[in-house]
Amino acid sequence: MVYFINDIITGALIGLLYSLVAMGFVVIYRASKVFNFAQGELVIIGGFIVWFTTMQAGLSLWLSIPLSLVLAGLVGYAIERIFLTKLIGESVFSMVMVTVGLLILLRGLVLLVFGPAVRPFPIIFPLKPLFLGDMLIPMNLLMGGIITIVAAVGLSWFFNRTRSGLRMTAVAEDHVVASSMGISVKGSIAFAWVLGAILSTIGAMIFLSGKSLTFLASDIGFAALPVALFAGLESIGGLILAGVIIGIAQSLTTNYLDPLIGGSLGSVVPYIIMLAILLIRPTGLFGWRTIERV
Amino acid sequence: MTYQTKQGLRGLLAACAIAVAASMPLKAQAETNYNLALLSDFSGPYADIMPVLAGGREAVFTWWNETRGKELGVTLNYKNYETRYDAAQVASLWPGIKSELNPIAVVGLGGPDVAALSERLPEDKIPMFMATASYGFAWKPDSWIFNPRPTYSHESAGFLNWMREQRGGDGPLKVAILASEASPAYVDMAKGLELYAEEHPEEIDLVEVIYTEVQPTDLTGQMRRVVRARAEALVIQTNTSIVVAAKRGLQANGSSIPIMMSSHNGLPASGGALGGLDQLEGDFEAYGMAIAADEDTPARQFYETLVADHGLKAPWNVVTAMGVSQGLFVVTVIDHAIEANGAEGLTGEMVREALFAGPITTEETHGFLPSLTFTPDAPFPLEGLKVNVGTVKDGKITIEATGVDVPDVQKW
Repeated sequence: MVYFINDIITGALIGLLYSLVAMGFVVIYRASKVFNFAQGELVIIGGFIVWFTTMQAGLSLWLSIPLSLVLAGLVGYAIERIFLTKLIGESVFSMVMVTVGLLILLRGLVLLVFGPAVRPFPIIFPLKPLFLGDMLIPMNLLMGGIITIVAAVGLSWFFNRTRSGLRMTAVAEDHVVASSMGISVKGSIAFAWVLGAILSTIGAMIFLSGKSLTFLASDIGFAALPVALFAGLESIGGLILAGVIIGIAQSLTTNYLDPLIGGSLGSVVPYIIMLAILLIRPTGLFGWRTIERV
Repeated sequence: MTYQTKQGLRGLLAACAIAVAASMPLKAQAETNYNLALLSDFSGPYADIMPVLAGGREAVFTWWNETRGKELGVTLNYKNYETRYDAAQVASLWPGIKSELNPIAVVGLGGPDVAALSERLPEDKIPMFMATASYGFAWKPDSWIFNPRPTYSHESAGFLNWMREQRGGDGPLKVAILASEASPAYVDMAKGLELYAEEHPEEIDLVEVIYTEVQPTDLTGQMRRVVRARAEALVIQTNTSIVVAAKRGLQANGSSIPIMMSSHNGLPASGGALGGLDQLEGDFEAYGMAIAADEDTPARQFYETLVADHGLKAPWNVVTAMGVSQGLFVVTVIDHAIEANGAEGLTGEMVREALFAGPITTEETHGFLPSLTFTPDAPFPLEGLKVNVGTVKDGKITIEATGVDVPDVQKW
């Protein structure tokens, strides 16, 4: 029974990590209605920035972490300025296709700049797990879970209670209307990309702490996709619940079903849940239902 | 100068002229060229090891051209083709490679090359030589694709039997496998060992078979299952990221169950990804090829020759060893084909026939590979198979065992 509870806790914490990465999807979507297919690549870029500032530049974690977050924000800003600003007012489809292009470009850039070698990622969170009796909780996931919840509460408040957050939501509704109301569409979208890149970098730190860094790490973007779609692409608070549900389902499948079937059903379960919920409720659990007047 | 001396000198000059003229056909013979197509992955999943592996195999071709090739009057030209480790890319490149090079052999890299070309090479009558171990799904008779090493499952079974002997006692060795469904090759590695364990319960007790992602989020829970099952060895033949995640998972559980790795995800690669070889103290790598350790072995000596005289720049590690052994495998077979058929008019078919005609001795491959006897029954030798075992001691890779027998493994 203890192990069962432990598996549920670990699963929930892994799910919260997915939620954090999915938050990058949601923040950008809420500000621009663009689904960023390159979210996983932003995780790698963030990971490489952290690796560079710590392992290459030799900075202490206290210096390198804030510096990495600033640099990641700048990368997000640069991406928006270079690739997306000119598309404001164009169809959302064009912007989405740009993110597909970004996915390929960023992978190529990582290979070009950092090379293909597998690198050790710095130990950001203690390797020693937390022991609660017979239960064992990985420290990076525990700290990550706390950070995710704090980030979700903060971003929910920002988007729902502050003028800047509400402006970003207005931008997502219609670029032209938002512009005519005096809202800086460019500024809002740029801010969303900065936030998305910072969240991805935090996700990279939790995901990769003490492990290895390669471009394969971008796969976490796909792992976070079911969480974002399950929650609904507009709901930051909903990500927490969706992440926990998907994480627990995945953990229980991995630990109890996979040994029976001799396969990796655990890797597929999040997508099965995602498809099921999209069939029943296409907007996700907490997504906004839009009413269109014809 | 007397008349006789003048006549003698004239005679000598004439003899020299005749000798030069006679050597002209030899010079023409020395211009016999054959092409090799090298399939490479400089930008895909194995991009990190490709420059080193390519350096190893190309240095062998240079060495052969400058030594044995010169004697035989043959030059082997080669060209790398970027496949991105993608079967579709290989398939689309192949017609162009064939028309551009008309190669007598293809020097392959991995599973996608096998998947893309296994049906085409018999039609085109061009053999392909690999560097890696083989796969169960490729274990078919009359192949045109050949591996100098048996399947990964053969290699792990050999290692586990050795480990059981080292442990002593009568009971089977409790083993866990950590694999991934991300690639059919990874699944194949696990399935072969599963079958072997099933047929040899007195040798191996397979306590856990775990499948995970190629970059796992966290394996603490999975490793706890392995620890609770009292596994004595953990076999990971997939990639370095999984080794790193498993090691962290084992460390979190306070366990030091030895991990067995293969050549492509071995001690140097995984140690580097973990931040140092010392993290893998007591873990193992095992494969049917020379271990790139500090010890003075024939393989190490040959590597030093390649560095000193033939422009090899790659460091002494398992990936370089893989490239060098692949190069030696290829040139030895071509050498045998030239011996059997003469230097002129060599074809891919003759090269393939030469592979079955006689064994490739360990001396011919400078100790990089054990003696290999191929038959048309399989794409790899079925008898006399050996693996070598390396480990980390005091933060350094050392050879733990050489020439460990590989048991018979049934086809799966």
